[in-house]
Amino acid sequence: MALLRTIDLTVRYGGLAANADVNLEVNEGSLVGLIGPNGAGKTTFIDAITGFTSVSSGRVEFDGHDLAALSPDRRAHLGLSRTFQSLELFDDLTVRENLLVAAERPKWYSFALDLLRTGRTSKENIAQVDAALAVLGIEGISERLPSDLSHGQRKLVGVARALAARPKLLLLDEPAAGLDTAESQLLGGHLRGFVEGGTSVFLIDHDMGLVLNVCDYIYVLDFGEIIAHGTSAEIRKDPAVIAAYLGQSAGEAQARAGASLAANRDSAVPSTDALNGDSNG
Amino acid sequence: MNNVIFFLLLGLGIGSLYSMLGAGLVIVYRGSGVINFAQGAFAMYGVFTFDEAHRNGYIRLPWVDILPTSWLNIPVTIKLSDKGIPTLPAFAVAVAMAVLIGLAVHFFVFRPLRTAPPLGKVIGSLGVMLYLQGVAQLNFGGSGRQPGNILPDGVYKNFLGLGKAFPKGAVWAVVVALIIGVALHALFHLTRFGLATRAAAGNEKGAVLLGYSPQLLAALNWVIASVLATVAAIVVGPITGSLTPVGLSALVVASLGAALIGRLKSVMVAVWGGLALGAVQSLLGFWSSKDWFPTFLRSGVREVVPLVAICLVLFIRGKKLPIRGTVEERRLPLAPYPVRIKQHLIAWSIIVVSASFLFEGSGKRTVFALALTTSLVAAIIMLSMVVITGYVGQISLAQMSLAGAAAFIMARMMANGSTTTSNPFPVSGPGLPWPIAALIGVLAAIVVGVIVGLPAVRIRGVQLAVVTVAFAISLQSLYFENASLTGLSAGAPANVRSAHFFGIDLKSIGDKGLSDRPEFTIFVLVVLILCALLVANLRRNGTGRRFLAVRANERAAAAAGINVSRTKLLAFAISAGIAGIGGVVLGFKQNDVSSANFVYQASLAYLAFAYLGGITSINGAIVGGLLAPAGVIAVSSNYFFHGTNIDRYTTVFGGIGLIVTAVANPTGIAPSLQPLFQHFGRWLRKARSAEWLAAVRRLGPTAAIGAALGAGIWPLRVDSYSWFWMPLLGAVLAVFIRSSVMQSRAKRARPTARPVLAAAGQAPSAVEVK
Ligand SMILES: Nc1ncnc2c1ncn2[C@@H]1O[C@H](COP(=O)(O)OP(=O)(O)O)[C@@H](O)[C@H]1O
Ligand SMILES: [Mg+2]
Repeated sequence: MALLRTIDLTVRYGGLAANADVNLEVNEGSLVGLIGPNGAGKTTFIDAITGFTSVSSGRVEFDGHDLAALSPDRRAHLGLSRTFQSLELFDDLTVRENLLVAAERPKWYSFALDLLRTGRTSKENIAQVDAALAVLGIEGISERLPSDLSHGQRKLVGVARALAARPKLLLLDEPAAGLDTAESQLLGGHLRGFVEGGTSVFLIDHDMGLVLNVCDYIYVLDFGEIIAHGTSAEIRKDPAVIAAYLGQSAGEAQARAGASLAANRDSAVPSTDALNGDSNG
Repeated sequence: MNNVIFFLLLGLGIGSLYSMLGAGLVIVYRGSGVINFAQGAFAMYGVFTFDEAHRNGYIRLPWVDILPTSWLNIPVTIKLSDKGIPTLPAFAVAVAMAVLIGLAVHFFVFRPLRTAPPLGKVIGSLGVMLYLQGVAQLNFGGSGRQPGNILPDGVYKNFLGLGKAFPKGAVWAVVVALIIGVALHALFHLTRFGLATRAAAGNEKGAVLLGYSPQLLAALNWVIASVLATVAAIVVGPITGSLTPVGLSALVVASLGAALIGRLKSVMVAVWGGLALGAVQSLLGFWSSKDWFPTFLRSGVREVVPLVAICLVLFIRGKKLPIRGTVEERRLPLAPYPVRIKQHLIAWSIIVVSASFLFEGSGKRTVFALALTTSLVAAIIMLSMVVITGYVGQISLAQMSLAGAAAFIMARMMANGSTTTSNPFPVSGPGLPWPIAALIGVLAAIVVGVIVGLPAVRIRGVQLAVVTVAFAISLQSLYFENASLTGLSAGAPANVRSAHFFGIDLKSIGDKGLSDRPEFTIFVLVVLILCALLVANLRRNGTGRRFLAVRANERAAAAAGINVSRTKLLAFAISAGIAGIGGVVLGFKQNDVSSANFVYQASLAYLAFAYLGGITSINGAIVGGLLAPAGVIAVSSNYFFHGTNIDRYTTVFGGIGLIVTAVANPTGIAPSLQPLFQHFGRWLRKARSAEWLAAVRRLGPTAAIGAALGAGIWPLRVDSYSWFWMPLLGAVLAVFIRSSVMQSRAKRARPTARPVLAAAGQAPSAVEVK
């Protein structure tokens, strides 16, 4: 059964359909990718699923629930965890506290206990946070403030924070943007680890190498519409994808690096060079 | 019907004042992103300058002579003529003054604050307001003035056939307001300057592309706003009756209403909005005198209804979460994780308890005992600001009103129909014992706090600050000043019976009629410590983490599973509870409460001093309490500098202090004291006699020089400096300055040290991403 399913999901901003009739499924235990050029509507899609933008028509089902009326925090409680394209860490909290915020699920009376006692952090939450830190290999920076960290480290903290909530589905919005090739390769390894650990992953990225290599199934979005979907081998050969991307100017350095990385690892790659994503900041 | 139309039209007169001030607010907001709480103060300084020149022939410059010497003075007054100058030149003088003030405010305050967080800008403008108010009271006197009317006097008999006499001035005022509105509209929509300003409001680069410096634009907009305020007050002010510095500064509230109607964007809409506000107020004033009007709404309805309407509009327009790509506002200073709480509390307690015994019945020095309790109570109320503003980032300007709600409800719950010396009119009530009455008071404050917090679910930043001011004013005029709700006649205070605890009498006033009982001081101290512990626990647990997460980033907080709205409301509730406790204790301290304790300006002043102390930390609240009006620092400066009338300058210095803090040291005073105390405490514990000697040898000369300077200054000064205090003060100051200099040198030597995290015992180590 599909963990996440969208049915004719449409999001309109004024006259612009940022997502048009998107039908997409993420099965339990899989790693699904979504690629598309800048402005295709990828972030909008994650926003719509996680409740950050209102859906114009269509439905989102997650784990048997219809998400329509749920607020973002309710959706997070159901097991949907996301990262943001722009870094959105809690600057006043240490890395560990950042993760704890996501891990904790307060009861309505928690505040009263918090007022009266110190050190109420539960062992289970600490274990959850330690596990998330360990999975991403960032235990060493757990007591530092986000402002002290490098861009790459912050990206990892963002992913770790989403993971600390022990989500059923992790939605990652361009986690590799701004990382160098080796860093994004390492991240790819982590992602497969998450899936093996029981967390399904939905990945958006410009880094073609990353997406084509690690994802079990890939959707391609252009101007808000799904123009192709399939396994990475199918996507590489898909004429619609090639047509959509060939029309564009030659890719930027980063996209190329990603594509050639993919080529190195998988020799049977026709025309991935043509797949072109804009890197954005 | 005729009456309705008549009163609507009549209100347009004062409405035109709101419109012009409101237009100025919009202009400043677009130019520099500042909600200028000093807009009314601009108007005030302008109209007083005009009146002083016109009436007496003097220009009073916007500063004061603080030097106590008679042979060295700062020039403040320029004499133009012996008996006043004609209207037009006086008008020109006032406009020139407005230009000067506008430029000064831009270059000294808001240019340095251009990248500050919204709270910093609010504090900056409060500082300007306090400064101008203080200077005006010294330069022009605090009493009312009735400047000459420059609009035509007289009335239109049977105006528009409504059968009533209508003042000509009001008609002209509206005409002036509309002309100015249209002119400004044209300026902003038809000229390159206006285009550039509007471009700069969206994005500074836009203005640069058009060939304008954004800072020049901002300066020009400040000048326009300042001149506009001055012109408005000179033209329309006289029709509102006698003018006082405080009363005129308070005009900013209704003007904010006008500006908000224009969504802080459109000058023209703000002008119409201001006119409409004036009209509605006038009509409500008329209706409230009618028989059918509900009695409990009579007082205050004029002030409240328009503000509530505006809040509703903002609320409906607002979004639960900020939309994607909303420009991230600069954040507040870090909220430090409280460490060594026990040590802090022990240190503070020893100081307070010994001081309370030391100053009991100590003659002239008894004032310190009273100042101490004042500071402790202020610290409790400021702790409530640490929670709501420091931790959750919601600017609430209604904290004193929440304290007031608790105090008033408690007093009413205690009332039993008997009379007291301060209030000869009996007030009916259930006559509950003090703990129950106090508890009900605090609970009531929490309920009111949640109501005040409701708009925060959809309104953010400075707009929320404005909405909370509106609430503060509503509470003030609908409840505290409303005899039909409080049961108090003729402004009499509500009586509060003193508390007692297991046989210990917790009266604040001793046998001699002085407020110096150590028992009471210790009672307040215990309450403060309990509140501080609550806040410290909060910060160190999950709730505090969620608060800071919401403060840092609402979208990310929601994604992490935090219910942002509920978290904000919880913070408002906790903060209101603490403020309520502060209000209750204030009631015990004074033995009665009156509306004058809880006017909305008190919230502004307290927030300002909390910011000065350090709004993001518990110690900041305590330092803020010490700094509070009539608190320890104010009273001791008065005491030590007795004879210089330094208390006359409290408002002026308070304003300057706020501006300097906002610009130079937004984390406040407390965090910078911390290393000093730490250093000193460690040294005290470890030092042996040899080290004591060494220290005396090292610091002795500095202290001696300071003492000599203090002794030397004494005869130069006015009369009553004591031979003892001046040298002592000199010595302490000299040592303090020396050690601060050494500190900052040491800090510069190792700039990478991170005190907070180093203290947490975790050595930062780099991580390999590869
Ligand atoms: N809040 C919004 N209001 C209006 N338009 C928006 C908003 N958010 C995104 N868009 C538009 O929707 C389209 C899709 O954007 P986005 O989802 O960010 O694309 P991607 O993440 O694929 O780069 C873009 O054209 C963008 O300008
Ligand atoms: Mg995107």
